[in-house]
Amino acid sequence: MLRENPSMETSILTPTVVWSGFGLGTVFGYIANRTNFCTMGAISDVVNMEHWGRMRAWLLAIAVAMIGVNLMGYFGVVDFSGTLYANKNLFWLGLIVGGLCFGVGMTLAGGCANKNLVRLGGGNIRSLVVLVFMGIAAIVTMKGVLGIFRTGVLQSSPVTVHLENGQLLPTLFAGVEGAATAQLLLAGVLALAILIFVYKDERFRKNLDNNLAGWSVGLIVVAGWYITGHLGLAENPETLEMAYFGTSSNRPESMSFVAPTAYSLEYLAYATDVSRVITFGIATVFGIALGSFVHAWFSKSFRWESFASVEDLSNHIVGAILMGFGAVCAAGCTIGQGITGVSTLSLGSLLAILSIIAGSTITMKIMLARME
Amino acid sequence: MNFDKEFNARGLSCPLPIVKTKKALVDMTSGQVLKVISTDTGSVKDMAAFADQTGNTLLSTVEENGEFIFYMKKK
Repeated sequence: MLRENPSMETSILTPTVVWSGFGLGTVFGYIANRTNFCTMGAISDVVNMEHWGRMRAWLLAIAVAMIGVNLMGYFGVVDFSGTLYANKNLFWLGLIVGGLCFGVGMTLAGGCANKNLVRLGGGNIRSLVVLVFMGIAAIVTMKGVLGIFRTGVLQSSPVTVHLENGQLLPTLFAGVEGAATAQLLLAGVLALAILIFVYKDERFRKNLDNNLAGWSVGLIVVAGWYITGHLGLAENPETLEMAYFGTSSNRPESMSFVAPTAYSLEYLAYATDVSRVITFGIATVFGIALGSFVHAWFSKSFRWESFASVEDLSNHIVGAILMGFGAVCAAGCTIGQGITGVSTLSLGSLLAILSIIAGSTITMKIMLARME
Repeated sequence: MNFDKEFNARGLSCPLPIVKTKKALVDMTSGQVLKVISTDTGSVKDMAAFADQTGNTLLSTVEENGEFIFYMKKK
């Protein structure tokens, strides 16, 4: 499509994408604080008390996101074939090891990246320490000393499966031609199965918070994809090629929190470097903390929290480092892979989130056993 | 309020207060009361959900000087 004055339009495109990300993050943070939405908490409820309420909320978010994402994909609103989650290389060892590390880490650090941003907004200083250590560990794993280990071992060619059509399940099963129909079918069946499981529970149907959390988080993920993958797509006036504006990866993105936390630290450190810009992901990180703060403040639940002991501090630091390392190796966190990635029906995302859940469950079992 | 056992979960983050509560209740007999002191805001909802799910009775939840004190009666 020709634009009369592309430079004018694209000049406001990046701020539009970034501010929309900030808005979405703020709503996410507000709702997560209000509803106690937490992936690790959901796993803990199931493992420690066989209570599935928050897990159902989390599954509901996946189902809602899955429906929205695949309808957008089917109708050509957003092209998911170029996203991180459709990568032609399936780094299975990195996904498993990274996912396990992330799962162990979030259990030691009082929650995942998202939960720590929410806790920070509520006045928890421990979470600030967790986020800084996690961000540094992520940078070190992306391009520092651990990056060599990541690319040389965990994501090296002997432990990578090359999939010519990418790793989204519809293209994997039905090829590029049949992908559109397969996408609609697969997403429909999976989402329906999840919705039946979620809503067959009477307590869940009556629980406003869990319903609010599931629907909102799912819709926020869909909105994130729409903003970066549709609104943010335009002709670049310099190259005259279509490009995605406002994201760190220059591809469509949605909610994800470890790499954006790392980019936030980098931005703070190198802001005068013109190549450093505030992106959609960075904006969501700050939005989450702000939204959570707003809810905590007005509900009078804001309170400063700090470390209790040396053991507590060291557990959180170890957990944070494992999360930063794990998320980069597994290409995402509980939200980035667990909801945003799974909503695209990516095989790698399923592998990563199952590994995260396994790592967290094992850690909780060990914690309980060590007390006996 | 009278209680038979007490533990301090000050400074512990989720899921430790719940894991420790679960462990503490194992060694208690029916009708005994466990007192838990926590500083984690999330533990308020967690303890209520735990009681609801396991059938133990959460006798009271009070906030005092920035700490949460729970009394849980074993079923």
